[in-house]
Amino acid sequence: MNDLCVDVGYKSIIKFGEQLCGDMVQIVKNPESTILVLADGLGSGVKANILATLTSKIISTMIAEHMSIEECVNTITATLPICKTRGVAYSTFSIIKVTNNDFAEIIQYDNPNVILLREGKHFDYPTEGRTISGKTVLYSKIDLQCGDVFITMSDGAIYAGVGETLNFGWQRDDIIDYIEREYRTDFSAQGVAAKIVDACNDLYMQKPGDDTTVAAIKVRKREAVNLMFGPPRNPADDNKMLAMFFAKHGKHIVSGGTTSNITAKYLGKPLVASINYIDPEVPPTAEIEGVDLVTEGVLTINKVLEYAKDCGGEDKLYSEWHSKNDGASQLARMLFDEATDINFYVGRAINPAHQNPNLPIGFNIKMQLVDEISNELKRMGKTVNVSYF
Amino acid sequence: MKVTICIGSSCHLKGSRQVIERLQQLIRDNNLGDSIELCGTFCMKNCVNGVSVTVDDNLFSVKPDSVDSFFEKEILKR
Repeated sequence: MNDLCVDVGYKSIIKFGEQLCGDMVQIVKNPESTILVLADGLGSGVKANILATLTSKIISTMIAEHMSIEECVNTITATLPICKTRGVAYSTFSIIKVTNNDFAEIIQYDNPNVILLREGKHFDYPTEGRTISGKTVLYSKIDLQCGDVFITMSDGAIYAGVGETLNFGWQRDDIIDYIEREYRTDFSAQGVAAKIVDACNDLYMQKPGDDTTVAAIKVRKREAVNLMFGPPRNPADDNKMLAMFFAKHGKHIVSGGTTSNITAKYLGKPLVASINYIDPEVPPTAEIEGVDLVTEGVLTINKVLEYAKDCGGEDKLYSEWHSKNDGASQLARMLFDEATDINFYVGRAINPAHQNPNLPIGFNIKMQLVDEISNELKRMGKTVNVSYF
Repeated sequence: MKVTICIGSSCHLKGSRQVIERLQQLIRDNNLGDSIELCGTFCMKNCVNGVSVTVDDNLFSVKPDSVDSFFEKEILKR
């Protein structure tokens, strides 16, 4: 094992007028490997959705259990229901399997070819054709470098804008040009996927002519972020909690008024709070030398949770938390974009003044916030540890 | 003179932002920018009586609608 890890993200838009997506992404993480499967079912709507779901689920499960690609393809061919109108059982797929954060294997069948960005530039990797039960499958094996980004997409991406804004759609080369131009090293996998899908949606003029999905895997260094939230239940544990917190490698974020005060005292440094309201909903941040970010507690974290939920859902607020500098946006960027491992240090002290039914900042709300945000971060593929004091 | 306003959770909900904005306006209107330093702090352990404000080291409770009278009584008179 090395100090690399993989960050995975994807985004889909559904064909205009349909309710179900005919593209499906499955991600399976094991201690030794990460497997991403993108399947695009024939047609659209329910039928496509079923085909894509079966295909992606079967492949990801079988690959995770170390079955060969031949067995996977044979199983799919034998299992998929046959389309009445077209007389075929068909779903295209791309598989990216990263092993030990060391090498990647790419197996592609009829989707637009996977794009690899290395140091932000398009990298042409070798492929080898294999015939399995009459289907030609492309196989590649690539040694990883830190910063590699693998981008796979359904054909909705390359048909974006056909006959509307563009004559021939948005070709793979155009997508490569676009992402080379837009890519910044701090983009997460989710950020890359969203960037391309949003551009496709614009080309379709917000009325996609086909289900469009982009999934990305980014190879990056492990980055730990430690977040302290609330003072310990027993004030005698202050120093113990702080010592454990600061002993951890990585960035340190302190959230909460009293929590910041005890941190400043522990470090022997002054706490300087700003009065600059960037977002009227989020209290200003503060600074303590030796701490990477100091914010207010419950309200800020609540806003971060809102951003996290949006990330996994409609993804409408991405540009908001990416451009602003209030406490919640800064915290969101550190947790969602930078961190791969997040350690929460949660203090369970009860502030009697907060236990007022009219204030949305009581103890239970706080504990619930920790649970919810941990789940959202895990969904993003982060390793999350929570310790209570 | 140093005026410190609490921007912790509880005080924020009780209107820290409005208090700060009004104070900034009043300080500008009275040309006191050079003599008054306005700053923020987290929790002053007086959450029940927010918004907590200190003038030098004296603690006050200010509501968004009482900023003007507070300014007149506690800041202008000093």
